[in-house]
Amino acid sequence: MKWLLSLLIITLSLQANEAQAIIKKLEKNLRGDYMYSTMSMIVTSKRGKRTVKIESWSEGNDKSFIKILYPKKDKGITFLKIDNQMWQYIPKIERTIKIPPSMMLQSWMGSDFTNDDMVKESSLEEDYNAKLLSKKANSATLELIPKEDAAVVWGKIIIDVDLKNAVPVKETFYDDMMKKVRVMTFSKIEQHGSHRVPMVMELKPLDANKKKNSTKVIFEKVNFDAKIDPSYFTKQALKRYSR
Amino acid sequence: MLFSLAFRNIVKSKGRSIITLLLSTFTTIFFIIYVAFTDGSHHQFIKSSVEIYTGYAHVNLNGYRDEGGYDNLIEDAGSIDQILKNDSSIKTYSPRFETYSLLSGDEKAVGSMIVGIIPSSEASLSKLPSSLIKGEYLTDNDTNAIYIGSALAKRLNVDIGSQVAMVGSSIDYSIAADLFTIKGIFKTGLFEFDSQAAFVNKSYLDTIMLSDNIASYFTLYFHDNEHIDDVTTALQASLPSEVEAVNWKILLSALVQAMLVDSIFNYISISIFFLVIFFVIMIFSYVNIYTRAREIGLLRALGLTSKDIFGMLFVEILLLATVSIVVGTIIGASIAYYYELHPIVISGIAETYKEYGVVSDEIPMNFDLFTIAWNALTIFILNLAAIIYPVTKINKLTAMEAMRYV
Repeated sequence: MKWLLSLLIITLSLQANEAQAIIKKLEKNLRGDYMYSTMSMIVTSKRGKRTVKIESWSEGNDKSFIKILYPKKDKGITFLKIDNQMWQYIPKIERTIKIPPSMMLQSWMGSDFTNDDMVKESSLEEDYNAKLLSKKANSATLELIPKEDAAVVWGKIIIDVDLKNAVPVKETFYDDMMKKVRVMTFSKIEQHGSHRVPMVMELKPLDANKKKNSTKVIFEKVNFDAKIDPSYFTKQALKRYSR
Repeated sequence: MLFSLAFRNIVKSKGRSIITLLLSTFTTIFFIIYVAFTDGSHHQFIKSSVEIYTGYAHVNLNGYRDEGGYDNLIEDAGSIDQILKNDSSIKTYSPRFETYSLLSGDEKAVGSMIVGIIPSSEASLSKLPSSLIKGEYLTDNDTNAIYIGSALAKRLNVDIGSQVAMVGSSIDYSIAADLFTIKGIFKTGLFEFDSQAAFVNKSYLDTIMLSDNIASYFTLYFHDNEHIDDVTTALQASLPSEVEAVNWKILLSALVQAMLVDSIFNYISISIFFLVIFFVIMIFSYVNIYTRAREIGLLRALGLTSKDIFGMLFVEILLLATVSIVVGTIIGASIAYYYELHPIVISGIAETYKEYGVVSDEIPMNFDLFTIAWNALTIFILNLAAIIYPVTKINKLTAMEAMRYV
């Protein structure tokens, strides 16, 4: 009996280790030391469709700088994220504004992403305990439960992973009441340097009132290899690089 | 014969009759005044909340109240305006455009409710203009002027003449940003409201939010706000099906429920009082009836049935109760009427209870004939019910037992 129990424990921990290893591989592939990208964000809502073109620079997990290129009305608006804080510069009024915590759950640029999504690129590996739910030849499904002390908003995330490319295929987010809240799908995988990147991401909220809503991000340029000047990650950059 | 016997009994035992009369009269007066006062304070409470900002009714797109945001805006405000203009039950109305944006002073940014209003129309719809405590209220020609709540001004650390930046979202979800100069500061007493709300001339805000001819809702003031359910139902009939007319009872449902709970607690406490009164009257009647046991025994021996005895005693209390309730009602109703016209002033309550929306030191009583009628009827029934037990008890005695009763 004892040996059966030990076997069960070993199998479970091996499974957990395997799940954790998959997440680690996934994160390593998707994140470089530096990342430069340009993308189009297509927001669909009851009020219609809107495209926003964005240029983005980031260093590791904690620093990123975003500039809006299109539409013309929003051109030159910049965002700076350092750790969990976010600032915004608006050229029309020449003001830099720090986004207060109370506004963190508001929509970012009218999309289905919140300001919090932009800021808290929480590490799946560090903040969650992974469990392998199923595994086939080239795909696996993992369940991620937040660690007790992790400052995350989700109750659970279920990830379908493409093991060959080490990229997610689908992420389903649950709130703390374990109700499905939104689904993010990834497609069009391309090789960029040593990374394999899904070039299209689509976020769909599952709220009954937001049936028509979706936000699609299409990466146009991605570069993991060039070092990014640290001057991008300062408050002065907000105005300086706005033009 | 029963009536004359009863009448004779009342006149004969003056002390007992006067005490019964006084007891019922004062209970009636007290009850009418108590209910008039609590109802009056509730009405005053709701009236302040309604009149400060919300208004008596709103006309908005179905779904706006639940979801808010830009997905449920009235896109053709002009056509709704036309319908409201032609509705004779509406005294005045005005569109509002409500949005949540960041307001930023020199140091701090605060999430705020920014509302585009037609300043001149609000004067007859809300207490916004009269809540001014510093600077000036808005005019219909203002552009970059903003009228903000006192607590919000404090949070932003700004004063009259200071500049604040507003960053929000236009209705096409592009970034809406502008600089405003603080023109006036208001204080309504509703703390939540004063610490979040800021107002801008709608025609100017529309240029930033791209919300020309668009409204979140219309706020309305009817000629007859007393019969709000009837007038909103009538108005609904003339509106397109995707638009709803909602009155304050729904808009302020949390407040209405709070008032209801308060009323229930008031009725529970007053019913304890009634229980005491009921037993006092009953014990008093009991003692009275038993002191007359010999007399009742004699009447029974003379041939009156127990039914006759019951009838006689019932007519007695009926006469006394009728007189005292009529007198009590006249006095109670006059007091309620007087204090409805000349409200009781308790100086300082507005200051003390400002966070609950109390904006006036005046508490008028509520003079309502229906309420007064049921109050009086309750005391009347209570009086009659109080003699049932003693009378049935004495009727159980035989004529001989009653006559020997000491």
